[in-house]
Amino acid sequence: MLTFTLRRLLLAIPTLLFISLIIFLLVDLAPGSPMSEIPLTVPPEVRKKMIEALGADQPVFVRYILWLRQFFWVEPANLIDGWFGTNLVGGEQRILSWQSRSPVFTVIGQRIPQTLTVIGTAYLVGIAIAMPIGIYSAYRQYSVFDQIGTLIAMIGFSVPTFFSGTLFIIVFAVWLPWLPTKYDTTLAVTDWSSFLQQLRQMAMPVMVLALANAAAISRYMRSSMLENMGQDYVRTARAKGMTERVVVLKHVLRNSLIPVVTVIALGIPSIFGGAIITENLFGVNGIGAALIGAIHANDLPMVQTLAFIFAVLIVVFNLIADILYGLLDPRIRYE
Amino acid sequence: MNLKSALLGAVCAFAMAPAAFAERGTDGEVKLTFPQAVSIMNPYLSSGTKDIFAASMVIEPLAGFDDTGALVAKLVSEIPSVANGGISEDLTSITWKLLPGLLWADGSPVTAADVIFTGQYCMDPAGGCAQLSKFDGIKSIEAVDDMSVKITFNGPKPNPFTAFVGSTSPILQKAQFEACLGAAAPTCTDQNSMPIGTGPFKVTGFTVNDTVSMEANANYRDPAKPAFAAAVIKGGGDAEGSARAVMSTGEFDYAWNTQIPPDSQAAMAAEGKGVFVVAFGTLIERLEMNMTNPSADLPEGERSTTKHPHPFLSDINVRKALSMAIDRHTLTEVGYGAGGTPSCNIVPAPALYASDNTGCLTQDIEGAKALLETAGWVDTDGDGIREKDGKKLSILYQSTVNPIRQDFQALIKDWWTEIGVETELKAIDPSVFFGGDAGSPDTFQKFYADVEMYANNFDGTDPEAYLTQYKCDKAPSPENQWQGENMNRFCDPAYDAMVAELSGTRDEAKRAELTKKLNDMVTKDSFVVVPLVHRGTLSAHSNALGGVKINAWDSELWNVADWFRVK
Amino acid sequence: MREAVSDLVQVDGLKMYFPVYSGVLRRHSGDIKAVDDVSFTIRAGETLGLVGESGCGKSTLGRALLRLYEPTAGRVVIDGEDVALLRTEALRKKRPTMQMVFQDPQASLNPRMSLSSIIGEPLVEHTALSTAQRQERIYELMDQVGLNRRFANRFPHEFSGGQRQRIGIARALALNPKFIVCDEPIAALDVSIQAQVVNLLEDLQDKLGLTYLFISHDLSMVRHIADRVAVMYLGRIVELSPRDDLYARPLHPYAEALLSAVNEPDPVRARTRQRILLKGDLPSPANPPKGCNFCTRCPKVFARCLSEKPSLFQVEGGRQVACHLYDPAKPSAGSTGGFPHPKHLQQGVSE
Repeated sequence: MLTFTLRRLLLAIPTLLFISLIIFLLVDLAPGSPMSEIPLTVPPEVRKKMIEALGADQPVFVRYILWLRQFFWVEPANLIDGWFGTNLVGGEQRILSWQSRSPVFTVIGQRIPQTLTVIGTAYLVGIAIAMPIGIYSAYRQYSVFDQIGTLIAMIGFSVPTFFSGTLFIIVFAVWLPWLPTKYDTTLAVTDWSSFLQQLRQMAMPVMVLALANAAAISRYMRSSMLENMGQDYVRTARAKGMTERVVVLKHVLRNSLIPVVTVIALGIPSIFGGAIITENLFGVNGIGAALIGAIHANDLPMVQTLAFIFAVLIVVFNLIADILYGLLDPRIRYE
Repeated sequence: MNLKSALLGAVCAFAMAPAAFAERGTDGEVKLTFPQAVSIMNPYLSSGTKDIFAASMVIEPLAGFDDTGALVAKLVSEIPSVANGGISEDLTSITWKLLPGLLWADGSPVTAADVIFTGQYCMDPAGGCAQLSKFDGIKSIEAVDDMSVKITFNGPKPNPFTAFVGSTSPILQKAQFEACLGAAAPTCTDQNSMPIGTGPFKVTGFTVNDTVSMEANANYRDPAKPAFAAAVIKGGGDAEGSARAVMSTGEFDYAWNTQIPPDSQAAMAAEGKGVFVVAFGTLIERLEMNMTNPSADLPEGERSTTKHPHPFLSDINVRKALSMAIDRHTLTEVGYGAGGTPSCNIVPAPALYASDNTGCLTQDIEGAKALLETAGWVDTDGDGIREKDGKKLSILYQSTVNPIRQDFQALIKDWWTEIGVETELKAIDPSVFFGGDAGSPDTFQKFYADVEMYANNFDGTDPEAYLTQYKCDKAPSPENQWQGENMNRFCDPAYDAMVAELSGTRDEAKRAELTKKLNDMVTKDSFVVVPLVHRGTLSAHSNALGGVKINAWDSELWNVADWFRVK
Repeated sequence: MREAVSDLVQVDGLKMYFPVYSGVLRRHSGDIKAVDDVSFTIRAGETLGLVGESGCGKSTLGRALLRLYEPTAGRVVIDGEDVALLRTEALRKKRPTMQMVFQDPQASLNPRMSLSSIIGEPLVEHTALSTAQRQERIYELMDQVGLNRRFANRFPHEFSGGQRQRIGIARALALNPKFIVCDEPIAALDVSIQAQVVNLLEDLQDKLGLTYLFISHDLSMVRHIADRVAVMYLGRIVELSPRDDLYARPLHPYAEALLSAVNEPDPVRARTRQRILLKGDLPSPANPPKGCNFCTRCPKVFARCLSEKPSLFQVEGGRQVACHLYDPAKPSAGSTGGFPHPKHLQQGVSE
């Protein structure tokens, strides 16, 4: 397992370098320029100077090499400096956002907590809803419960979050003035009432995302359960005279969880990726909102860095999913 | 709470002269929301309105504009004029006198050195200052004494109120920004997000593209203000969400830029929790006519250049007929509701400069048909499209991707089809259209179309620079890498001469007259520019917020010090 | 119930239909008659072989007997209780008496359970043994089936096919069952291993007095192990005879055809032997022929076969056959078998 992991990690390095180049070029070659954000009242000469000050007039490969250096040397060095008080950076420029002129990693650092709390909670809630629904739907395939579960999953799949989000706002904030529509990121949880306040402001984005997550995961759970439900060993378990509880929850569920756990692990990078639409709708200043804001403003360093971090997370969580698979399924051994 | 505010009031009363019955910091927190989040609090590094407005609560210019467009002193004792000796007779210099006893939020005194430093900061060639054009023509900025600054220009400057005037050009604290000159400007993250200012509030917390938290500035020059003890600007979401947060759920007191469909406006206003307010500045949604031939048959480098005049738009009758066929009232109603008003001018305001040009406001389809008929544009082959000398009236009409603009395109296409003009529509991503990439065929500068629609305005109250854009030499062309602002490639020596006359004229009345003439020359006299709608900025504030005076000439938050809680 | 003393298993009119739904509204449009009106008995200590080509319903019959499927109709009396009628909890309690050895030893073992937990799980459920006693019982069972005790903590995928089947058998034996359905227990094994497993089953039967229903399509193996053999065709038993009688002289034309395909170890007889080749395919169990199920392929078909389903009746010393050829007189003989079945059951619920 260890050699397998090491080999995969080594292989990931050229993969990621290649991905970083592709991302950089794609983002760069995409139409649009940071110029489009500057109002027309700013004369062309001034615009030109502003672009020069951003370094946006440099050729793409110069910027790519600089970005590589910043990403792989300056930023880690800066982190080490922060921990140990060393001075490895030596005044070198970090990756700066064109939009806010602040270091991209500072922005990401500010946003990760919100994304993890809101999107992470939504993911957990989604899983918590999806598991029992998926299990019971499979156990009682084609029953009324299963049909309703299928319907809800279809709705969760097909209704876009901007729609369900707006609907929730109208119901829970406008008609019934229970929940706030804008997430207050400055709220510090210090006591019971601020904790309740935090729960209230998380409620809507979490519900919206949990519905979408639960839809997908419950379907995976259901189909995995169904696949195992028809296996001989389940018949064996019944023939042994096990109770239905044991048959379903021990024999079937434990085997069905293997693929579902890997699907869940593969979905974790999307937690870090945030939820672009939902975050934007509820004013949660997470990574997703940062990404869409940066795309709108043609803030290339931000977009490139975020996209690359997602790529890294996806590669890493793919590896984690593979390792989990090996741990959960005794039939699989990596050499 | 009562005891606390009473004590606070008592302290204030002891410390300062009891000026007014209002007291600082007694009204709690004021909450603002912007659909676009604040990225940076330094207007010199950002041209985004959201950033400039947010910064205006914290850092201030020497003087600003009030809601009528008139100058108001902020950090100075009076507005300089030739009469009071602040402006030299030959208009080559202006002297500002700072208010005595003025303090920064950190308690240190504001001096001439800060003003001079701010000038250096923006004019540094490596800084990429977004407001550089405000400092155009400045020869030197020097201190007369500790409290007065003299700005000398290269030549006579009829309008010297650009540098340090208005929220786009605030004074920075030298002590804070000293290390941020030139290339270092963008790296000063802390300074750029939490500048120390003289405004009614000071920044206590800043999260990029999300929230600005502020508290009342204890050293604000008016001891009774601001009424609010704290302020917060929450950004993000969309116009709809911002409007809803003020008008429906009442979570916020003020929302800037809530341009939503007219029917939603009416529904939210009917709830009675707040009101929409409109700031009418100078933003005009217009059609620009291409005076040159954009045909793809021409060799690259000659398309849309002055080498080839447009086959039919060079005929004024066609341009006029196109304008006559448009019903601007319908457009306004469909697109903007209270946030717009029909207009025939490219300089719609301030009132002093606005031409009384209303001829275009009534739609005249029959008149347009007759005009084309007499000009020889007739439909000879019965396909519903007029032609003359083998040239068909077939138009490519481009704009940016935007729901309102697509509505406008569809409506205008219908009217033009009715008068026998074939119209093909094209919508381009705004970041490409306005991106200025010389390699893209879809920029508004290249104008590879017959008609294009977008909105433009001018900064502040003086339209001179804006009118200069229609001079012959401002036409984008391959020679200047398609940089230039005269999209139409309009060229009239008489216009150029009049612009030159305007820049040499100091008399206000005369300037106004010239401005109107120039406006008319490109609009009703030539129909090169066909204005459609004078657009305002729609904002919303709750009924619990008092003191809001909407202002199109400066930051909307220009008088935030005067805002108070309605009880 | 009269013969309950000697008959451990009595099956009477067992039907196992799987409903077919079709159309937009998923209406019940028919049934797959996997097992259609089957009756037989197995004496205690006996091995009944069940043969037939694949798809004829042998495995379904085995599963329905142990109520791994819910039978559509009929009685299954095992050790004095009608398994088909037992309530869930009573059925669970009954399960130790009747066990099954499955065809695919790989699929029938939970891949995430170790050998000792596979064997030990039913002990936890159905006995009050202490952990140590349970472990001892597991070892004992492993010894019985010839598995090394060291393997107790290994997972199924670490074993060979033959070893896995031994695990399957040990598991089935754990609760001292009386009746074991062996559902093609050797079909998935190498030929070299098959004999070992069959011998193991025989040894265990001798030692523990087990009763087997041995389902297989391997006629020579059935000949080796079974006392009596039932031949199944399209959901019905067409002949049930003592082993030697059947192999010496099959009565039913289908049994005859089936046995003609068996490898004959005696080269002299092999030379003279004639193989009977059946024409056509097995008809669909969802839509069986109107008359005798075998009438579409029977080399000896005559008019009556096309219109009337023959039922199983006694012909000579302990032999039963369902064929009109052997019906001496009456057009619908029915009461000669061990179990007289009412007329309505024979007709089933065909539409």
